[in-house]
Amino acid sequence: MGLRKPKATRETTTKMRETVKLISMEGFEFIIDREAAMVSQTIRSMLTSPGGFSESKDGVVTFPDISTTILEKICQYFYWSLQYSRGKETEFHIEPELTLELMMAANYLHT
Amino acid sequence: VQERFGNQSFRMERKTIDLEQGWDYMQTGITKLKRILEGLPEPQFDSEQYMMLYTTIYNMCTQKPPHDYSQQLYDKYREAFEEYINSTVLPALKEKHDEYMLRELVKRWSNHKVMVRWLSRFFYYLDRYFIARRSLPPLNEVGLTCFRDRVYNELHSKVKDAVIALVDKEREGEQIDRALLKNVLDIYVEIGMGQMERYEADFESFMLLDSASYYSRKASSWIQEDSCPDYMLKSEECLKKERERVAHYLHSSSEPKLVEKVQHELLVVYANQLLEKEHSGCRALLRDDKVDDLSRMYRLYHKIAKGLEPVANIFKQHVTAEGNALVQQAEDTATNQAANIASVQEQVLIRKVIELHDKYMVYVVECFQSHTLFHKALKEAFEIFCNKTVAGSSSAELLATFCDNILKKGGSEKLSDEAIEDTLEKVVKLLAYISDKDLFAEFYRKKLARRLLFDRSANDDHERSILTKLKQQCGGQFTSKMEGMVTDLTLARENQTSFEEYLGNNPAANPGIDLTVTVLTTGFWPSYKSFDINLPSEMVKCVEVFKGFYETKTKHRKLTWIYSLGTCHLNGKFDHKPIELVVSTYQAAVLLLFNTTDKLSYNDILTQLNLSHEDLVRLLHSLSCARYKILTKEPSTKTVSQTDSFEFNAKFTDRMRRIKIPLPPVDERKKVVEDVDKDRRYAIDAAIVRIMKSRKVLGHQQLVSECVEQLSRMFKPDIKAIKKRMEDLITRDYLERDKENPNMFRYLA
Repeated sequence: MGLRKPKATRETTTKMRETVKLISMEGFEFIIDREAAMVSQTIRSMLTSPGGFSESKDGVVTFPDISTTILEKICQYFYWSLQYSRGKETEFHIEPELTLELMMAANYLHT
Repeated sequence: VQERFGNQSFRMERKTIDLEQGWDYMQTGITKLKRILEGLPEPQFDSEQYMMLYTTIYNMCTQKPPHDYSQQLYDKYREAFEEYINSTVLPALKEKHDEYMLRELVKRWSNHKVMVRWLSRFFYYLDRYFIARRSLPPLNEVGLTCFRDRVYNELHSKVKDAVIALVDKEREGEQIDRALLKNVLDIYVEIGMGQMERYEADFESFMLLDSASYYSRKASSWIQEDSCPDYMLKSEECLKKERERVAHYLHSSSEPKLVEKVQHELLVVYANQLLEKEHSGCRALLRDDKVDDLSRMYRLYHKIAKGLEPVANIFKQHVTAEGNALVQQAEDTATNQAANIASVQEQVLIRKVIELHDKYMVYVVECFQSHTLFHKALKEAFEIFCNKTVAGSSSAELLATFCDNILKKGGSEKLSDEAIEDTLEKVVKLLAYISDKDLFAEFYRKKLARRLLFDRSANDDHERSILTKLKQQCGGQFTSKMEGMVTDLTLARENQTSFEEYLGNNPAANPGIDLTVTVLTTGFWPSYKSFDINLPSEMVKCVEVFKGFYETKTKHRKLTWIYSLGTCHLNGKFDHKPIELVVSTYQAAVLLLFNTTDKLSYNDILTQLNLSHEDLVRLLHSLSCARYKILTKEPSTKTVSQTDSFEFNAKFTDRMRRIKIPLPPVDERKKVVEDVDKDRRYAIDAAIVRIMKSRKVLGHQQLVSECVEQLSRMFKPDIKAIKKRMEDLITRDYLERDKENPNMFRYLA
């Protein structure tokens, strides 16, 4: 994870893309696995909506109200959650100063 | 149009969205959605748009009061649907009819569901807190309810009519769009939101009524025009089609109800008319062996409560009639023909009854799938005619005679071993239908005795085999005596060997005549009259010798001689040539008198032999008036009278070197019936005592019915006889009447 340049990908098949791109309010792009992103019910609803999305716009979500720090923490949470549900029972450490914002973001994302 | 709400940190100073402003934005999304649903050129939502719409709702719900607009958004959500339905959906539906209307409805419903899905996702935040906290109907439900209240409630009646019209069209053979009907009916189910209420009340009940009246009309004309088999074919076809109908587009829960209605109209209402149709109904089908049609009848009526009972009844009547006809035929032949032909007819009757049983058992198993009702019908039918008397002979006697014919040497049946086994098996099965089983046992025993004693049994294995079968069917007690008889014969042979050894060792004891003695155990064998006759001296010696031998083997046993069963071989020294005569002991006794005197009068013989008139007449008749005239009678009339006199017929001759002179058989029937009646009295006594001993106190009716039940394995007791025995037991102090209630009986220990 981390900052990556936006990729221009052309896919000729119509299978589901494996990654989604989450963009923070500052414009940082986080490209994560689809499966991880779906830990958020909100994102999951969107991705499983009927009608589907057009190729070029698929799986790119901008969160103008979420800062990079928080969004990064959230992405970490997604992966931790997947690992936890697979049996790797570790602790998820939250820096105290992030708590409030993180909770509100979590509420928004229904995570 | 997308608005970005500033690049600020989330929790601080988010710009408040005003309701009108926010709703305007949402409205753009709703409009886009409507355009997509109407099929207008409109690109799909992208993830950005989606999130924006979601975020707008989210923000408007999480703003601080007075700007938390949850309630208003909830209301506006509903209004969005209502507006769309009223302005677009309903008018589109109302202007169409019949099949077109149905198609439009399916399309609109599908669209509506899509709309609900999208909007409920945008407005999702409401579901999580606002709706949950106030226990309001969730977004999904609100959406569906809108459609239900505004569209479904308006149109469901019209839709139902259109659907039913198509169903009837299909019934008449036209092609219809089944997928369309399935989709329409799915609406009825889905609109119930988990309950089948709407489907059942708004559609199914009408459909059932319509189906019932449709088939009622069809049935009323078919029943007049069609034969029973054709009507059944049509019915089967209709039921099949209706089941297919359910599979293709009706809801599965309709199947039993629809089938029941169709069955009712086609098969229940007209059941009587159908089954009783003059030339093609159940009776006719049975008569004409229409196995397929009968199988169909079974299949159709099997699933209807009490549907099979009339069929089983007709079956029973039919079988009974056929059985009765056979019996009547035998009865008629017997009265018209001479005795021996008649008896052949009786044997033919048993054969035919067996065939009848085989034939209709196949029906029971194959057409009627071994259903208990039909087994019962067959059983009851056979019980009716199998207990009829033919020309004075009870069925028990006929059956015993039939067995005798199979088992004796030179019997009327010349069959392979396998065929004999098979026949014996079937005979035993028939016995189950005869109520007087004890009577059969007695006749059988008598005939078995004759076969064994006169060496007339054709095959030992068959004799044993039938006893085994009888044992299996009727229990050990039934066959124990018979088995004892067979064993006696084996022992008798061993005994004879010992006797001959004894004679060898004691030449002085030898009576000078070849003597074979068969010792029988009294209890096993039928009771025989043994009347004392003055034996010729040669025979007297034989008896003494054997007695001497027997005492060396066992003391404490009494020997009773049954001369009526004995056989004698005499050498007749006739003028022309000597002939060996095989006669009974009694006949031998008569003939030996003529060794010392040429001529004797009836009375002479009577005195010398000490016989009764009845017996003597029989004997003399067989020797002087029958086929072989060993004695000449004066006068040579056809019957013997007490004034006749007899002379040895030296001129007698015959082609053969050895002839058998039979004695006409005594009618054993009367004796058998007497013996059985006597045994029955004992059996009834024993049953009453047994019952009372265990019950101690019992009412009259109950005692009688339990008695009947206990004895039913062997015979059907006469109620009067039971009452008489009860009285007898009271006088013998086995029972007493209760002082207060004369209908109650008490056991006296």
